Amino acid sequence: MQQRTAQPVPRTDAADRTAIERARAALSRIVLGKDAQIELALACLLARGHLLIEDLPGLGKTILAQALARVLGLGFRRIQFTSDLLPADIVGVSVFRAGSGEFEFQRGPVFTELVLADEVNRATPKAQSALLEAMEEHQVSVDGATHALPEPFFVVATQNPADQIGTFPLPESQLDRFLMRLEIGYPDAVHEREIIIGEDRRDMLASAAAELSPALLVTMQRSARTVHLSDALVDYIQALVRFTRESPDIDTGLSPRGAQALAAAARAIAYLRGHSGVFPDDVQAVFAAVAGHRLQPSSGTTHRSAADLCRHVIDSVAIP
Amino acid sequence: MARKAQKKPRGTDGALLPSLPWTLAALAVALAPHVPYVPVWVTGAFIACAAWRLLIERHRGTLPSVLVRAALALGCFLGVLATYDTISGVGPGSALLAVMASLKLLETRKRRDQFVLLFIAIFLVMSALLREQYLWSLLYLVGALVLIMAAWLRMAASPSARMRDSLATSVRLVSYAAPLALAMWFLFPRIATPFWAVPIDTSAGVTGLSDTMSPGDISELSQSDAVAFRVTFEDTVPAPGDRYWRALVLHRFSGRTWTGREPSIGGRPEQQIEFAGDPVSYQVTLEPTGQQWVPALDLPASWDLPRTFMNTTQGLSRVVPVDQRVAYKVVSYPVYRAESGLRDYFRGWYRELPAGTNPRTLALAAEMREAADSDRAYIAAVLALFREQEYYYTLQPPALGRHPVDEFLFESRRGFCEHYASAFTVMMRVAGIPARVVLGYQGGELNPLGNYLIVRQSDAHAWSEVWLPDEGWTRVDPTAAVAPERIELGFTDSLFDGLGAGWGGRVPSRLWHRFRLSWDALNANWNEWVLGYGPEKQNALMEWFGMESPGWRKLVFTLIAFVIALTLGVSALMMWRNRPPRLDGASRLYRRYVRATGLAPAVGETPDAFARRVTAESSLDDTSVARITRSYLAARYGGDDSALAELADAVSALGRR
Repeated sequence: MQQRTAQPVPRTDAADRTAIERARAALSRIVLGKDAQIELALACLLARGHLLIEDLPGLGKTILAQALARVLGLGFRRIQFTSDLLPADIVGVSVFRAGSGEFEFQRGPVFTELVLADEVNRATPKAQSALLEAMEEHQVSVDGATHALPEPFFVVATQNPADQIGTFPLPESQLDRFLMRLEIGYPDAVHEREIIIGEDRRDMLASAAAELSPALLVTMQRSARTVHLSDALVDYIQALVRFTRESPDIDTGLSPRGAQALAAAARAIAYLRGHSGVFPDDVQAVFAAVAGHRLQPSSGTTHRSAADLCRHVIDSVAIP
Repeated sequence: MARKAQKKPRGTDGALLPSLPWTLAALAVALAPHVPYVPVWVTGAFIACAAWRLLIERHRGTLPSVLVRAALALGCFLGVLATYDTISGVGPGSALLAVMASLKLLETRKRRDQFVLLFIAIFLVMSALLREQYLWSLLYLVGALVLIMAAWLRMAASPSARMRDSLATSVRLVSYAAPLALAMWFLFPRIATPFWAVPIDTSAGVTGLSDTMSPGDISELSQSDAVAFRVTFEDTVPAPGDRYWRALVLHRFSGRTWTGREPSIGGRPEQQIEFAGDPVSYQVTLEPTGQQWVPALDLPASWDLPRTFMNTTQGLSRVVPVDQRVAYKVVSYPVYRAESGLRDYFRGWYRELPAGTNPRTLALAAEMREAADSDRAYIAAVLALFREQEYYYTLQPPALGRHPVDEFLFESRRGFCEHYASAFTVMMRVAGIPARVVLGYQGGELNPLGNYLIVRQSDAHAWSEVWLPDEGWTRVDPTAAVAPERIELGFTDSLFDGLGAGWGGRVPSRLWHRFRLSWDALNANWNEWVLGYGPEKQNALMEWFGMESPGWRKLVFTLIAFVIALTLGVSALMMWRNRPPRLDGASRLYRRYVRATGLAPAVGETPDAFARRVTAESSLDDTSVARITRSYLAARYGGDDSALAELADAVSALGRR
């Protein structure tokens, strides 16, 4: 677990603050009516985690990922996962150069700051694991040579939950690699109207300006890790985790890694919100996104959906 | 499950599958102590119902219909009625309970029914105590209780929980209850006459002396290791050869069987005895015999067992049969002169012989009496006959026919004590000497652990008494002439010395025997201190604890006080364990604010969410609520110490308003 700092608040300086606010505003101009998801996606990025977006097609998964890359000033590559995708298509391949008489490594699409792995469950487990390895290690090994990935490195994977034929759903152990799982959901009527009549999102993307830079993002990530985590709040996280392990509604509770992820995500969102420390609200805001895909509901539970189950946990644990 | 149940009330869905086997196991354990007593078909019914129920659950089958169940219940009820002719009493009661618990399985569809079953199991285990109250009964009871509680916990446990954890919790629960149980046991007033009488059938299947003696009766009894009684001597223990425990006197002979009910005429028997020599004082703890005789060392002078008198044959008899274990103190004199003035009427009585039986014995006795000068010389001659001629003492005497005494004396020449006593007494009577057979126990084994004498059924013995003018009834033991070691060492010790091997006795293993002695000492203590914990022992204990003149009122008050103290103590302990963590400054201030709002935060409601509710629902002004919430969050979660002052300021401003 990251070290808790005894010192209060390494406050973001005003410049960072305004840059973040501008980025949020730009994002919510492109992705309409999804402020909570935007905040969580940003927090996920600040916590150096990867993001899994699970929803039906056409709800703006790709737009969100592209907008993030654009606004944050990150390089962007999209990998469309198909059943014939090979690991080399992701990480790259060594090519023999007749001119120099040597092998040269051709970097794959993964060598960029923000990778969109579209429909990740369509590829074979072999291709999936190539990506997951890169996510975990922040580096790629090909033919015995190790190639570091850029920093920051951020994977947004999308999955279509309704589409089950000919797919390889990610197993639980690999879901754990994603810090958060988000659902986007339908926009409300007002925002949908605006989408229908408004400017084309792709044009907006193209014209959107970068508000941050990779270097700035790395400093922010570093700052987010130092947000104050009080004893009372650690107690709260532990109480939540203990509840997931003991509740009869849940078969598999949160692991210590899950608890760690919860703390990191809560810190990141507290940083985004400019809080002097992690507040209970911050934990509750990230709980469903962080814990939803890590909990295994028991067969007898009445809380069928992950969101329901997470709500139940939040409503059952007292805040110390 | 509930929806399915409505559609199909008798269907099962396998939901009970994880816990049902444990419920069945608990029920089986509860039933086990009854198995030797209830009819075999009751046990069969349980096994059948359990297997049936388990199969139904496994195959998600359907429970039998009301009609089938009603028919089975009626059948079982009639079965119990047919077996016992009644349905009241411990036997039929527990059989009925067991069989109905088995049938209840067939309508166990939900958890609630399972609870009922386990409750019945507890009842079944307890009712076993009405039959047997041994030391192991208690251990078994506790073990069974732990299993039943574990099965209970099993129902609520998730399927993945381990049985070991349920058992551990169960052990913990039972041990929590232990202090209360002990207090109840020690303090609940013991009264001499209980409010209710439970018909305890301990007499069933008791082995021991009966009031008749045929050849083979006692040698059969010598195979039994069961304890007849235990004796604690106040000072010196008499030598084995002097330990004749009289129980019954038999005087009527049919030619084969000795019987006898003492004549009940004449003065008080104890007035016809003159005692001499040193008295022996001891206490006897007699196991239930189902009979009226009370064993005592030859011959008792005083005893403290109520409703017990000395009969005309100098034996002790109780008015009511000994159906439960009794303890009594006796003083006996080994030297005595009893009934020296025997009435003529009785002299005839004790010389009677059936006509036409055992002719050869009669002829031999007549011939020997002719040759002897006096009655005494004749007695010595008969004993010498047993000692010097080829007579053998054996635990496996051959079966005898129509003239058993003749066949024994002239043909088989092998016999157990009853053969010798019978032959000797017959020979005395032929010569006109009043004689009778005495049944009782001889010897006994001293248990070095606990220093008391164990008299077993295998110590059962028969000997003779002859009446001589001026001397009265005199004990003559013909067995002593044949097998002196049996009398001098006692039955058990002769077996160990290898002497018993000559009689066909099996030599027991020393280690096993030592273990048995320890176990017996433990049981003797159990009998005395636990089962024998009555009004006197309770009073003595309470006085030892410093209670003055304990009566039932004081005991009840003490018990209530103890229970209250225990409850308070446990509650205090639990409250202390679950005490809320000490609040820091920010939390204390925040609590004051929460009280001021008049609202209660829900579980999991964050300060911000609560603030929104307060703003909407209470009369507190929005800015101070926002200020308090902000400074509280900063102070408690933000690590900002300066915020504490602001919080204190804002909260006290609230109070001033």
